[in-house]
Amino acid sequence: MPLHPALAAAVAIQVATAAYGVADHAAAGLAVALAGVAIFLGVAALTLHRFRRVNGVRVDGLASQIVLGAGATSTLAYVCAFGAATWAAFESRWWLVAAAAVAGGVGYAFGALRWWHAYRLDPAAHAGGASPRVLAALAVAACLGLVALMVAG
Amino acid sequence: MAELDPLIHAPARLQVVTTLSAVSEAEFATLRAVLEVSDSVLSKHISALADAGYVRSRKGVQAGRRTTWIGLTSSGRKALSEHVAALRRLIDVVD
Repeated sequence: MPLHPALAAAVAIQVATAAYGVADHAAAGLAVALAGVAIFLGVAALTLHRFRRVNGVRVDGLASQIVLGAGATSTLAYVCAFGAATWAAFESRWWLVAAAAVAGGVGYAFGALRWWHAYRLDPAAHAGGASPRVLAALAVAACLGLVALMVAG
Repeated sequence: MAELDPLIHAPARLQVVTTLSAVSEAEFATLRAVLEVSDSVLSKHISALADAGYVRSRKGVQAGRRTTWIGLTSSGRKALSEHVAALRRLIDVVD
């Protein structure tokens, strides 16, 4: 699994759209943010489906890395990028929103790549992770949380 | 002290459980390709391991065709871990 450009792009889009949505405080912003989440989830599902079809195996640890960014690198990259992008969106510095989103996407994908190398070295220790049902439930909860954040804001 | 587990000591079954330990679930056809055995031989091994509670299986669809997914249970992981520990102790005696 190379550094997945589609995953990096999907995370970048999700970060940018969520930052715009939070700063916008309007129905249009909410729609943009949810569209970003949908794009991210679509790319994540497609990536995992392709992995399963090609290899004939399911690895929950990989799903957790891709959907949840469960590793420290991915989590840190995402949180920093989202924070910076949201601040930049409130300040209407759109170039900075884009830069933070791209950096977040690359960092997130790099975290997944690091996990992949660790998995290749010791598969049994890294195979475990959240099940597909848990991931689906968390995805729904994330969407609802995003809506609540924007409605409350 | 953990002992060798006769149920997973046979090479084919040991290969099944070690392969499954590296993933959450594997397709029946994938396991068959790894072990290079026939459907019936693999089915017998899977049945024996399932009867002991070491593996679980479920039906699914892969690329539009029906297939069976097999995964190691927590009992199976524990059994493999203990078996490997017992093997290591035996091997340590050699040289």
